[in-house]
Amino acid sequence: MAEEEDEQGFEEELEDGSGGVDAAGHGRRKRLFSKELRCMMYGFGDDQNPYTESVDILEDLVIEFITEMTHKAMSIGRQGRVQVEDIVFLIRKDPRKFARVKDLLTMNEELKRARKAFDEANYGS
Amino acid sequence: MADPARIKTEGSLEKEGFINEENPKTEHEPAAETSAEMSHVFCCTLKETEAAADDEEEGTSGQPSSKRPKVEPEKKKEKRHKVDEDEIQKMQVLVSSFSEEQLNRYEMYRRSAFPKAAIKRLIQSITGSSVSQNVVIAMSGIAKVFVGEIVEEALDVCEKWGDTPPLQPKHLREAVRRLKSRDQIPNSKHKHILFH
Repeated sequence: MAEEEDEQGFEEELEDGSGGVDAAGHGRRKRLFSKELRCMMYGFGDDQNPYTESVDILEDLVIEFITEMTHKAMSIGRQGRVQVEDIVFLIRKDPRKFARVKDLLTMNEELKRARKAFDEANYGS
Repeated sequence: MADPARIKTEGSLEKEGFINEENPKTEHEPAAETSAEMSHVFCCTLKETEAAADDEEEGTSGQPSSKRPKVEPEKKKEKRHKVDEDEIQKMQVLVSSFSEEQLNRYEMYRRSAFPKAAIKRLIQSITGSSVSQNVVIAMSGIAKVFVGEIVEEALDVCEKWGDTPPLQPKHLREAVRRLKSRDQIPNSKHKHILFH
């Protein structure tokens, strides 16, 4: 059942002619990530010019993924809010994503500290 | 559980491994200047991050009121240093031997990212309240890994079916189906009834 719904979702996006209310709603929205997704697909191994339909499918998948994660994060920890700890908790079973989030947050902290130290050094002199 | 840092490196090396397979016969073209510059840029970025990490760690361990035993963290730090340095050297060697096309692709791989503003707007439209910057950073990073997993799986499907890139929607759909069966794609629409 779920798979049938998914396939219908894909076909609606490809048609894109209907902006009707009963459609999945994804076809109506303006494409948010077209440029970035193209570069990303090339970086991950696709052709230098990926098909537009493929980019659209990926964009919808990404938006659905972010929506799911956000809803799950809202339901755990502090209700109604999305916090980093919730995201890390949700991702704990997936080694790649978990490692990536840890790295990103650690690097961000280091960069902030480095920038702060740099600014203080400048301010002193 | 294995060390996440290790897994991450293996993951990214896998990607580069795929790139090498794609261009097996591409010899080292004389685009020497570009390659040298690019590898220099990447190596510098890697070194700076490592250097920043070094400074930070030395700063914190210098505090006199630290309660940690002195010997243990130093040993671990040295081991981590050695592992990181090996890693960085290997990356340098690898990147310096890239062809022009591989360098382009690697640059796109490293540089592409989702725009923080759009992600923030999307999350805030779902939650209805504001979110911190770290949440946006984490979510963009995870989304990029997500895209990578799908594209890699789709390329496997494409190769298995005897097609060539660019990827077609049917490859992506099959990739999504496979990832769903491995539980790598979250789906809270289908309610799982335990005994029926």
